[in-house]
Amino acid sequence: MVDFGTAEVTLEMVQASQLGMKAFSAALAVGLTGLASAIAEMTIGSAAVGATAENRDVFGLVLLLTVIPETIVIFGLVVALLLMF
Amino acid sequence: MAGLSSGFATNYIYACTRMRVRRSRLIPREDYLRMLNMSLPEIIRFIGDTSYRPEIDELGTSFSGIDLVEEALSWNLAKEYQKILELVPGDLKYFSLSYLRRWDIQNVVAILRGKMQGVYPGKIKEVQVPAGKLDKVALDRLLTEESPERVVEALKSERFYPTLEKEIGGAMETGSFAHMENELYKGYYARLIEDAKGGVKGGNIFLKYIQLEIDMRNIQTLFRLRTGHVQEDVRDMMIPGGTFSVDELQQIFGLDDRDEFIDALKRRVKMVPLLNALEEIRRLSALHEIEVALTRVQLDQMERISKRYPFSVLPVIVYLEEKKYEVANLRALARGKEAGIPGERLKGYLVM
Repeated sequence: MVDFGTAEVTLEMVQASQLGMKAFSAALAVGLTGLASAIAEMTIGSAAVGATAENRDVFGLVLLLTVIPETIVIFGLVVALLLMF
Repeated sequence: MAGLSSGFATNYIYACTRMRVRRSRLIPREDYLRMLNMSLPEIIRFIGDTSYRPEIDELGTSFSGIDLVEEALSWNLAKEYQKILELVPGDLKYFSLSYLRRWDIQNVVAILRGKMQGVYPGKIKEVQVPAGKLDKVALDRLLTEESPERVVEALKSERFYPTLEKEIGGAMETGSFAHMENELYKGYYARLIEDAKGGVKGGNIFLKYIQLEIDMRNIQTLFRLRTGHVQEDVRDMMIPGGTFSVDELQQIFGLDDRDEFIDALKRRVKMVPLLNALEEIRRLSALHEIEVALTRVQLDQMERISKRYPFSVLPVIVYLEEKKYEVANLRALARGKEAGIPGERLKGYLVM
């Protein structure tokens, strides 16, 4: 049994903990921005499908509009990469 | 996002966007102005290049001239309304169906009038718009009935049967369906209010539309009655359920001076577009111009509310109403041209 009251915190332990926190933050950055993008794209996507159903000519334009929220998750990915490396 | 059924109602967004796109494809004001200078065959050719093309092509072999326009417009309207009912989801469908029941009343009253005057069923069929709950098959079945009483009997399962049953005797006796029609529409608006208050989500927004519609109808009726120099009690002709009470409307109607009458209306109204329209009406004398001005205000106000609630039943109803007026405009244009009325005069009858 480890006695936590007297146990020493070694440098390796601190480094491992830091790495874990970084990985966790990177996961949060990608995960949360992914969720935000999904919500935004869901709304725009429904409207885009509706508009395309009525007028096929707008497909290219609405496709572009639908992927604009994708930038949110790209920012998240960039933040995650900066955190990790 | 009031008016949504639950959570992220993507199907509402989908349906409302489709309505907005459809609305953007309605005939614009400039085209009406161009059509005012056209002859009837030119108008038919023009309509044939728009969304009415399938109907014009399909009916072109059986009808010609004004009959072709009338039939094509009615067919298109009914088809369009049925299509919209197919694509709107959940609660939107419930409210849209409620709203479209007005066509059932119009169709049934037309059948009753036709039957009473001994009009040939084929001729009555030409004026039918099967856009409500009663579809083509149901209306055809009604047309085969021999007498107005039999028609009423055949409608036993309908919401408006009790009113029909109560009123048909008096209507047959006097030979006028006007009172019965009033009662049917009053019943229709009462049911609409009931549906809106029935606890279905988005009902409060639907109620805003109903109240606006009732108010505008009542104000239009008041102007009509004044123009017709009616002196009697008008309470029976007013639709209850709007922001004006029936007694209040009677009180306003009682004012003899036209300016006083308009001032009394203005004191009660809060909507700025309606206030402006009433001020404009002060200098208008022709009834059709007053009606068009009020209709325009109603459509503008509905559009305004629909922008405040973009994913509710309102974008659907705005489209349905504007489509109705587009058909009415085209019919007025074609009929006017057929009768040789000059374009300048016809312009006053169009809701643009």
